[in-house]
Amino acid sequence: MTFRLRLIIEWFIIALLANIVVIAFLYWDITASFDNLLYDGLSETARPPADDDILIVAIDDASLKEFGKWPWTRKQHAQVINNIKKLEPRSISLDIILSETGEIEGDEALSVALYGEPVDRIGTQSKVPAIFLPLHFVTPGNDGRAFDTILPAPQFLDPINGKNSLGHVNLSFDNDGILRRNNICFQASESSPQWPHLMERIYQNRHKKLSSIMVKASKEPLCNAPVLIPFSTSGSISTISYSEAANNNMLPDSVRGKDIIIGATAAGLGDNYPTPSSNGGLIPGVEIIANMLGALERDDFITPLSLWQAALISLLPIWMLLLGFLRWQPRLILMASAIIFIGLFIVSATFLYFGYWFPPGPALAALFLAYPLWGWRRLQAISYYMSKKLRELESEEDSSPLGLIQKRSIDLVGRQRDTLDQAIDNIRDLRRFVTDTLSGLPDPMFVINMDNEVILSNDILNERIDSNLLGGDLSNAIDTLVRKEDRTSVWQYIEASDINTANIIIDQETIVRMADNHSTGYVRFSSPRGRNFVMRRVPLLNNEGDYRGYIHYLADITALARADAQREEMLQLLSHDMRAPQSAILALLDGTIDEQAKQSIANNSKRTLQLAQDFVEIARMGETPFDGEELLIDILVEQVIDSLWPLANERDIKIDLSNIDEGSFIIGEADSLSRAFMNLLDNAIKFSPDRSNITVKIKNMEFGKTTMVSITIEDQGEGIDSDMLPILFEKFTTNRGNEGRAQGTGLGLSFVSAVIERHHGSISADNKRDGGAIFSILIPESPESDA
Amino acid sequence: MRIALADDHQDVLDFMTSILEEMDHIVVTYPDGERLSQGLMRDTFDLVILDWNMPKKDGLAVLNWMQDAIKEAPPVIMMTSRTAKNDITAALNAGADDYITKPEDRNVIAARITAMLRRSGNSGSFETKAVYGKYTLDRIEHMVMYDDKEVTLTAKEFELIDLLFRNRDRTMSRDYIMETIWRTNAALTTRTLDMHISRVRSKLNLKPENGFRIFTVFGYGYRLETLN
Repeated sequence: MTFRLRLIIEWFIIALLANIVVIAFLYWDITASFDNLLYDGLSETARPPADDDILIVAIDDASLKEFGKWPWTRKQHAQVINNIKKLEPRSISLDIILSETGEIEGDEALSVALYGEPVDRIGTQSKVPAIFLPLHFVTPGNDGRAFDTILPAPQFLDPINGKNSLGHVNLSFDNDGILRRNNICFQASESSPQWPHLMERIYQNRHKKLSSIMVKASKEPLCNAPVLIPFSTSGSISTISYSEAANNNMLPDSVRGKDIIIGATAAGLGDNYPTPSSNGGLIPGVEIIANMLGALERDDFITPLSLWQAALISLLPIWMLLLGFLRWQPRLILMASAIIFIGLFIVSATFLYFGYWFPPGPALAALFLAYPLWGWRRLQAISYYMSKKLRELESEEDSSPLGLIQKRSIDLVGRQRDTLDQAIDNIRDLRRFVTDTLSGLPDPMFVINMDNEVILSNDILNERIDSNLLGGDLSNAIDTLVRKEDRTSVWQYIEASDINTANIIIDQETIVRMADNHSTGYVRFSSPRGRNFVMRRVPLLNNEGDYRGYIHYLADITALARADAQREEMLQLLSHDMRAPQSAILALLDGTIDEQAKQSIANNSKRTLQLAQDFVEIARMGETPFDGEELLIDILVEQVIDSLWPLANERDIKIDLSNIDEGSFIIGEADSLSRAFMNLLDNAIKFSPDRSNITVKIKNMEFGKTTMVSITIEDQGEGIDSDMLPILFEKFTTNRGNEGRAQGTGLGLSFVSAVIERHHGSISADNKRDGGAIFSILIPESPESDA
Repeated sequence: MRIALADDHQDVLDFMTSILEEMDHIVVTYPDGERLSQGLMRDTFDLVILDWNMPKKDGLAVLNWMQDAIKEAPPVIMMTSRTAKNDITAALNAGADDYITKPEDRNVIAARITAMLRRSGNSGSFETKAVYGKYTLDRIEHMVMYDDKEVTLTAKEFELIDLLFRNRDRTMSRDYIMETIWRTNAALTTRTLDMHISRVRSKLNLKPENGFRIFTVFGYGYRLETLN
């Protein structure tokens, strides 16, 4: 199963779960306690004013005190009603059950008090207040009925309006035992009559029409449409004590034209209930129904949204969030969740403001379920995906060219961590490998980024130019690498190889175009130190194929260039230096062969031989690695002196060897060193006047911890021309103009210099003050081994 | 004495033949290595002088072949224009008894051949007092007279001088010299020998002006050359 598919399936499960939670919670009202709490809190903020047209006549503790224990005689009630009636209220409702017949005298008195003499009533009809009485229900009813409807005793029924003056006073309580809502209408079954609430009766009496709530409710099955009661502040409804009414101690204005409700408020009578407005206490049933009348009057009952309305409103934000899960960043999801959370409260409060109740609980529950669930699944999925990818990476055999150190933890999380560690190590190794490989390349190279900054330069380049290009820009690098004369052509090449201008062809001599478009040839230049390079510039691409910089490959072609020059020299040598003596020999052979001619022929022949020998030695030395052995330099020099003795002796030149130290051993190549000293002494003899001395000195010299063997050769000749001194050891440097003095081949001293260099030594030449040349050679001494 | 001479250059054969015949030797010449090998199978010689660079079979190949094919092989002198140290030591290590680099003076060649024949003949006898030019060796008193003056030498220095003079014009390996004089190899480095050589040279003034020179074959050994 792919990562994506798995995530989508899990998303569907979470979406389904969230929907189920919303519907189920709404249906079973599971979050009722939370929603009620919220409702109570919200309704606290907006208590409607009490209805001024209502007056409660309270059967309170003071009345009980005055008239004794409840129930009181109906005569007593009749008197109070008569007292009230005199003050001409609009209606009188009794929240007192009068279902049973009592003592005839009392019943008669109450009936008369309520409805008056038939004659009187007709005459004063307009001023007679409407009388409303409660009916109640007994549960369970007889004969298997759910309940029986108990009407007031017949003598208390309105003789004219009959049952139309009756209303129910049922209360309904929420699961937490608090009274918040009530039905304005009651219907026992489909066939039974719809009983309006007692307060609906008062409302109808006032306005001569049904209340809007009643209209709505009557259309519902069993006229079941409970509405939430907006309670006024507890105790704010006008109330007078029953005893005051009994004692005729009432302000006429407080009664006239009002709807009077007589009911029990005394704690001992038990008709007290908790409501949202009672702040944890109880309020009397009569005050509750008075609040209902107020709500009817203001038409501000709060209608709970139906299940489907609430579900729709709840699911809307949930689905928004669910869709967001698929598209948004975790941060955005968190923010959206918070907004939805707060939004639900705001929506709920707004609905309440407009008279509807939306319980946010189920939506909140769904939110609290979906968000962490999704977070968890997503984390799990990422963890799974990561593990899988890591395993794949691990199983790739060539993942690291250097191999991995296997680590194994016992627990799963530890293993995952190890695998991740290894993957990271792997990538580090790889990066290290690439860097090391690049920096260890045998040819110099450097890399620049798109800002022309040098971001990599390898070891060999740093070594060659003895500085680090890193951190500088391209023009710095070019200035360091290229001598002034060549910079223009290098810049031309760089511009030409630039990807933007790559198709512009310039200066054919500088740029040799390659078939590959990316390797636009190369440029050849010399460094300020005289080394020769060719540079090739290649664009650097990233994975997406964007240009990220350039790699500059350099090749040191100094040796090649040198070889070119040497070939030129060789041709020069063969064409002139070798031919000249041979021609001389041929010329001499044409003449008379006397002793002098023989000597000349021998000399010319020897010169050619020497030249060939030098040439071979130089060529061989260039090819073969240094192959030294430990040797006593004294013996070597002695041997050279001995072999040159006949030459020196001919001209009466003495070669003195002065070796003060007991043995100066060096690591040397006997062949090349012998040849080198031969050349030096040969030169010395050539440039010495007859009967002069050549002095060779060998001694050890301390330079700090190292000991060098110094060999000096002094002659008593004319010395070296001062303008020759700086170039003395370069090839083909001879005093060609001065035939008498210089008969060197031009290879001799450069060969000597090369040999000494090969021995990690140094050679210098100078003129002595009293005339004559002095050659000084220093070669490191070979320390005595322990053996 | 019968001497076999092989070289592919007729000039060299003529030149060498003239030297050898002047020394009263019988010379048989061969133009290449193959013919020389055939000659050595059929004939007996007291000395073989052969060139390194020859067609068909070069000098080194003949040398190697001789080690296996010929019983009591005669001494061999290799002639070569190769002067490189490695070439010379290669020839000597392959079994050549001595070598001569071309071109070389005819007197030197004669001396080297004489030395070789002297050794292969009777080298056991020696005089108690021998005179070599300006030098007189007293083998009983273990002392050397140079220009009739006694030169102070240590015992080892005398033995070295004695060995060099007795084997003059013959190339001796360092190992040979060290084993002969010091007998054991214990704690002896080539430095010691080199120093002794350098010391006797300066003490006895063994220089060309006195008719002798000590020639070093680097990486191999030494020989005392007599100069005319």
